[in-house]
Amino acid sequence: MASPCELHLGGIGRRKAEGILETVHAEAMRIETKFSRYREGNIVDRINRADGYYIAVDDETARLLDYAAELWSLSDGRFDITSGVLRRAWTFDGSDKLPDPDQVERLLAHVGWQRVDWERPTLALQPGMEIDFGGIGKEYAVDRAAELVRGDVESCLINFGGDLLALGPPPAGDDGSAGWTVGIESLAGGTAAKRIALTEGALATSGDAHRFLLRGGHRYGHILDARTGWPVDNAPRSVTVLASTCTEAGMLATLAMLMGAEAEAFLEGQGARFWCLR
Amino acid sequence: MQLKKKASTSIGASLAAATAGLLGQSPGRAIAQELAPWEYDTAILYYSESDSRVQDFSLNLNARKEVREERFLNLKLAIDTLTGASPSGAVPASSVQTFTTPSGGSSFNIAPGQQVLDPSFLDTRTAINANYEFPLARLTLLNVGISTSDEYDYTHTGVNMKLAHDFNDRNTTLSFGLAFANDSIDPVGGAPIGLAPMTAVGGNKLGDQSKDVTDILLGVTQVLNRHSLVQFNVSLSTADGYQTDPYKILSVVDPVTGDPVSAPPLNGLPFLYLYEQRPATRDKQSIYGLYKRDIGGDVFDISYRYMTDDWDVDSHTIDMHYRWNFASGSYLQPHLRFYSQTAAGFYHTVLFDGAPLPDFASADYRLSEFDGITLGIKFGRPTERGEMSGRLEFYQQTGSASPGSQVGSLQSFDLNPGLEAIVAQFSYKFGR
Repeated sequence: MASPCELHLGGIGRRKAEGILETVHAEAMRIETKFSRYREGNIVDRINRADGYYIAVDDETARLLDYAAELWSLSDGRFDITSGVLRRAWTFDGSDKLPDPDQVERLLAHVGWQRVDWERPTLALQPGMEIDFGGIGKEYAVDRAAELVRGDVESCLINFGGDLLALGPPPAGDDGSAGWTVGIESLAGGTAAKRIALTEGALATSGDAHRFLLRGGHRYGHILDARTGWPVDNAPRSVTVLASTCTEAGMLATLAMLMGAEAEAFLEGQGARFWCLR
Repeated sequence: MQLKKKASTSIGASLAAATAGLLGQSPGRAIAQELAPWEYDTAILYYSESDSRVQDFSLNLNARKEVREERFLNLKLAIDTLTGASPSGAVPASSVQTFTTPSGGSSFNIAPGQQVLDPSFLDTRTAINANYEFPLARLTLLNVGISTSDEYDYTHTGVNMKLAHDFNDRNTTLSFGLAFANDSIDPVGGAPIGLAPMTAVGGNKLGDQSKDVTDILLGVTQVLNRHSLVQFNVSLSTADGYQTDPYKILSVVDPVTGDPVSAPPLNGLPFLYLYEQRPATRDKQSIYGLYKRDIGGDVFDISYRYMTDDWDVDSHTIDMHYRWNFASGSYLQPHLRFYSQTAAGFYHTVLFDGAPLPDFASADYRLSEFDGITLGIKFGRPTERGEMSGRLEFYQQTGSASPGSQVGSLQSFDLNPGLEAIVAQFSYKFGR
């Protein structure tokens, strides 16, 4: 997952804990292996190298593709799993090196779910297009892992690189705390801007705290609008959302980011519990 | 901005439905609450001794903040208001006794047979502590702090540190603590010359005094199993400087009749009383053991402390709590404590006329041989963002006079009457 993953367990013995750890680890590795765009030979790699040909996909991949299609529709094209090719133009290293607008325009020709031919169980991309589940995979892995161990443990926190899910509160400590204390990293880094006690459900964060470009006083965050190929203007620096599943929390956070200045209004409209940092 | 124009709840509903389809599960619950940046622990405490002796009304405020990950700042403020009367050290007599207040500005009389209480006892004490706890390494925590307190005749400043290191799969914690304090004492009317007679005009006084205290602690905490743990501490304390209580005196009595002897001419008081005098150094050693275990969701703990010092005070303390947890999150916690100490070598209930004057002498009941028992109950219940609790305790102390002091008329008086006290406390924690 290219980020630190951790598992907190309480109220069970060592043997059971090791079994749960093994289950969670195996599921994370399975999803990483199956859907990472960096792995050769997996389903994503085969789709991306098909060069216009149809590829038949398994049921799990089909569900992820359906989900991506729904997100594309719900976001009016702002969210698009074919937008990964734009990374060839954008390197968010904190510098002021903006890409050549012509290069972005050329890459946009290879972006757009409307160009994808998807009909269960077959998918075909136009040559030069790529898909990438990076915006969904980590949160999906958290939910999948949680589903496998739910019922075996009453006190569990799964944290895959800051996207997390609690199955019950931590074992009662002397301080009587009711939930797992989760910090939302401040914009300056290092410190917690907000602390949240999570008892049940998931928290996911979308942010660009360390990934941006700065030019002429304008900040270009790493969340790209798939329709324009350019970063969303006036997006919050970080959005954290609470939901019953990590995937839903993560997608709400991502959609909010894509709304730019309207992020908070959008989340309020959903009745979501959220924390935005600007 | 079509996204906004769409009935926004429909996006949320569609997303929830799509997510449920992806994961093949119906939505569960999401429960979380934002924690306040500071956690507060506040308390008001009322302490009252029987017979209109000392009363303390105390306000405590403790604020804690996680300033960075695993780095905590802890600030503590305590304000105590003490009123009432405290035993001066002089013993009752068959005749009226007259004493000078510490300032020397006035005098007061004690009726025959009455315990000698100095009625002018009134003080406000303000104490501030600041501590910062941070990890030195993954398994090592360092806590450093400063403390200061101020009352009209006493100022304390101190620094402290505590290092804790976990090992053995975090089942064992070794602790090392070190504290230094410097206290300056500026008694009302000046510090009396030790064992000099009390005079009507407040003579025999010196200027300011001070003392230094160093404490060292070495401890180990061991988790025994899922239900119990033990803790052992060894601590050393050494104090150097002025440790005398400037307001305490001793009666000088006739070794046969037990009556107070007359003061020398020009003293201004009818009878002779000497200011107490304690050694300038005190070295204490103590060992402490605690056993704590979970009993079906309840928590029981028992601890024992043995303290010995070079003033010949040896003490034993046994302390027990049983925390009875209810399903609602409330709890009831009875508390029982036994304390017993031997008298300091220089504790004298009275001094005898004609006998050689000792180097050190004090009639302070806190240095006498005594036993104390505390019986208490605490009830706590969770609130939305913390806890509120109430505590009520009863304390009874029974003391003994120094051997051979009950002579003549003194046989009809209780020379170390002990005391009874109640503690009532209300605490409110919030900000979680």
